Amino acid sequence: MAHPEIQVSRRQFLGKVGISAAALGAASILIQADRTAGAATPGMKKFAMVIDTNRCICCHGCTIACLSENNVPDGYYRSWVKKISKGRFPNTSFHFLPRLCNHCEDAPCLNLCPTGATYRTKDDGVVHVNRDICVGCHVCIDACPYGARFFNPMTHTADKCDFCYHRITQGMEPACVTACTGRARIFGDLNDPKSEIVKYLNIHSTQTIRADLDTHPKVHYVMADEAILGADYSALI
Amino acid sequence: MNEIIQHIHWINHGVALGYLIACYLFFFSLAEGTHIVSHLSWLYYRQDNYRPLEKVGSFLPFIILCFVSLFLIADLGHPERAMTMAYHWNWTAPVAYGVYVVLLCIISYAFHSYYLFLPEMIVTARGGKGFSSLYRLLAGAMEAGSTEDIRQRHHSKERFWANASVTMSVVGLIYLGFMLSSFKGRVAWNSAVMIFIFISQGLSTGAAFLILFSQIKNVIGNPSEKDIRDQETYLSGLSRFLKYAILVQAIVWGVYLLQLRYVGQGGQAMIHLLFSGPRSNQFWLLQVTVGLALPFVLSFFKAGRKSPILRLIAAIAAILGSFFGIINLFIGGQMLPMTSHQWEKVPSDPEKVLFGAIVTAVILVIFLISYKMLPYENIQSEEA
Repeated sequence: MAHPEIQVSRRQFLGKVGISAAALGAASILIQADRTAGAATPGMKKFAMVIDTNRCICCHGCTIACLSENNVPDGYYRSWVKKISKGRFPNTSFHFLPRLCNHCEDAPCLNLCPTGATYRTKDDGVVHVNRDICVGCHVCIDACPYGARFFNPMTHTADKCDFCYHRITQGMEPACVTACTGRARIFGDLNDPKSEIVKYLNIHSTQTIRADLDTHPKVHYVMADEAILGADYSALI
Repeated sequence: MNEIIQHIHWINHGVALGYLIACYLFFFSLAEGTHIVSHLSWLYYRQDNYRPLEKVGSFLPFIILCFVSLFLIADLGHPERAMTMAYHWNWTAPVAYGVYVVLLCIISYAFHSYYLFLPEMIVTARGGKGFSSLYRLLAGAMEAGSTEDIRQRHHSKERFWANASVTMSVVGLIYLGFMLSSFKGRVAWNSAVMIFIFISQGLSTGAAFLILFSQIKNVIGNPSEKDIRDQETYLSGLSRFLKYAILVQAIVWGVYLLQLRYVGQGGQAMIHLLFSGPRSNQFWLLQVTVGLALPFVLSFFKAGRKSPILRLIAAIAAILGSFFGIINLFIGGQMLPMTSHQWEKVPSDPEKVLFGAIVTAVILVIFLISYKMLPYENIQSEEA
């Protein structure tokens, strides 16, 4: 049985391809514009943290303070300390890496959250989770390259460090900074040239975790050993 | 860097997106692939005898997509907020696009199926046979004329929805790959090859699914001897297509593994995970041997393609292999540790697995019931 063929002229075809390409281009530009808008506005605060690993004694005081301050459920952590030993006896050394959310400037969790429940406060660049909108899809937990997020079994939403936002907006420091016995954690505003964190950054060279991902983390480390910064895949292969 | 490193204290994060989501990805790609293969085959053959197979390739994916969305909802921490994604929408998140992609696929498949079944439903309802009251309800106005006349009258609408549904199917497969590749912290997923993996898996499972469920239809339904003879030609044609689709799938996986080899330690860890790590059994036995080698060998020779039993075995093996391919990719990709030195553990969610099994069983039952209730076969000969 013959069916009527639908004829499309070359002009029509090229027109449709052109419109599709233009729409795709416009969408890409808008997405980039949206990301820029999501970053902290210049002139506003830009909260960040520097952790001097030379000063960390791995007392886990920050971990306990965070658990207590933020009512984190058992078995989950917003802040913790990774500890490794390196070398063969007698030439061994211990290395500690306090961990928390990096509040990345180009945060993968924020870009991939389907409902926009993960957002950044424009006044200070802190990344938050809005528990009223979060559907608990786990996508942000999977998207975070630093493993900083977890699924909170009490609220059934994603959870993570927010630099103790209830404290920093009252002029206090995050609980982990206050509890740090070695004063390894320095918290402050990167846009304030007189802040302790800026002065510290001016005289120390720092590292970030997974700098290759271009997420621009706002938690900087001083003198962290290369072996502790990333996942140790060599132990798996 | 060759010093001995011992981990003393660390945090294991576990696998966040489990088997239910992996099953969702598999069923989604299967539905899209089935629709593309069935429609492209119609475009290839352009014969009305092919229509029963096209109906299988339109209605069954519609049922699959309607039900597998439940997998996503069941995996949410707040299932009651599932539709938040539709109106509180973050447009930089590929996952959010899925709400509309799935919805548009379901709508276009429903309309396409409706126009495919419409002529047979009207003519059967007019004759007062079988499920005529159901057909009358679904078809609405009882049009005059034969099935051929009615089909001609609705030809443009049917083709419109066919084009829309095929476009949406392609978009759906691209969406799956694009979604996974957007996770830039995941070494195993952050690759452009993801899109091609889902397209190749979709096409091979689609061909296998059409073979499997068309043969089941011919056993359960009541096609005439002539219909079965005609459909045999198409089924052996689909078997030949399956052979090439599997070859393409193997090539795409080869390219993917080759690319992993050169993206640093993370990629090598992923290769190790598949080749000799915790997922090696599933990879070598189920994905490669059962899913690729067996169906390729069975559909390579003409005798294998002509034999309904061998064709059936090849189809089941290809579907099983693709299923484990997606499980290996999705679960395996999350097993790579982010901050520690151990494989992340997959949580055992017996409730969710049971839920997935029940939904899959319901889908199968609906398939089988639909074979008894809906007019899949052509009825021109009966009309004459």
